[in-house]
Amino acid sequence: MVHLVDNVEVEPECVERYLAVVRDLAVPVMTGAGASLVSCATTAEEDGEPVCIQIVWGFEGYEQWNVIRRNLVLDPRWYEYASRTAALRTGGRRRFYTPADFSPT
Amino acid sequence: MLRRFETYAVAADAPADPVRRLEEACRDCGRHIPEVLDSAVGWNLSGAPVHLVWEHAFESPEAYRRYMVHPFHATVLDRYILPDSPERVVADDTMGAGLVGYRCEEPVFRIDGGVRRLVLLRLDTAAARRDVAQLHEALVAVPARVPEMAVSVVGANTMGPAWFDGVTPITGPPRWTHVWEQGFASLADLDAYRHGSSPLAAVERAGWRGWAGGIVRRAAEIHYERMTPEPRRD
Repeated sequence: MVHLVDNVEVEPECVERYLAVVRDLAVPVMTGAGASLVSCATTAEEDGEPVCIQIVWGFEGYEQWNVIRRNLVLDPRWYEYASRTAALRTGGRRRFYTPADFSPT
Repeated sequence: MLRRFETYAVAADAPADPVRRLEEACRDCGRHIPEVLDSAVGWNLSGAPVHLVWEHAFESPEAYRRYMVHPFHATVLDRYILPDSPERVVADDTMGAGLVGYRCEEPVFRIDGGVRRLVLLRLDTAAARRDVAQLHEALVAVPARVPEMAVSVVGANTMGPAWFDGVTPITGPPRWTHVWEQGFASLADLDAYRHGSSPLAAVERAGWRGWAGGIVRRAAEIHYERMTPEPRRD
């Protein structure tokens, strides 16, 4: 299993809208392409700093990711999801992780 | 072989550091993915709406498919490119030249250093095969009359629609049906061709109108000084 982990920064007033795009658009697009949603979580909003939203997608390996990527490229909804989330975040980072053998997920 | 070009328009608000990392990742890709051959990058000097160009090649479709599933492709190259990546630094492709390329038997495109020029052609899809073959012959023959042009290769843009496995088209016909790849030792040599007296230079200056039975419907060009991987320090 490989995890694609996006950590994005969002102003507090945009968090709900960002999560709504993930829930209503990203999840059907990504799962339809073959990925699974592992987790979606946010940091606390009350500390006055931008909120970090972490979204983790899972798939079997890079062979499968290649197929998922093809499916995404051919899906017009992916571009809409990308455009809407890009407009709401102030920054972010994408990394791929391979869980340690003792990790539960 | 599969000859392939990716072109990117850099987003207006992209920070300089990740743009430089994208440039390096493309230029040095062969160090991470050995199937990637003849890798070089350059910054477009023409007026076409692209900035960074990455030229490279693969020995075979099998080699290309290994590149497609390599972790470096997903984890580093795509980080700066995919539309949904929070680290994307490129803008949407408006030129229809995000990925173009052709098949060839041998690496006839090779030059050391120098300047690369791509002329993207949209031929009449109803053009007779004979007319296309004559156009091909005329373009390949240019260096015989223009010594400044060191390389002249023409190929149908098969890579654009067949980007997934290098062979099978999975999208519709590409905007640019053919790629005319040229190589020059220097920008001065490129200028000498473009402003020179060869028939093809005159055809280009005239916007291809009427030439080769009028089968060239549109053309666009990109050129850049090639930057190849720096020698390893170890």
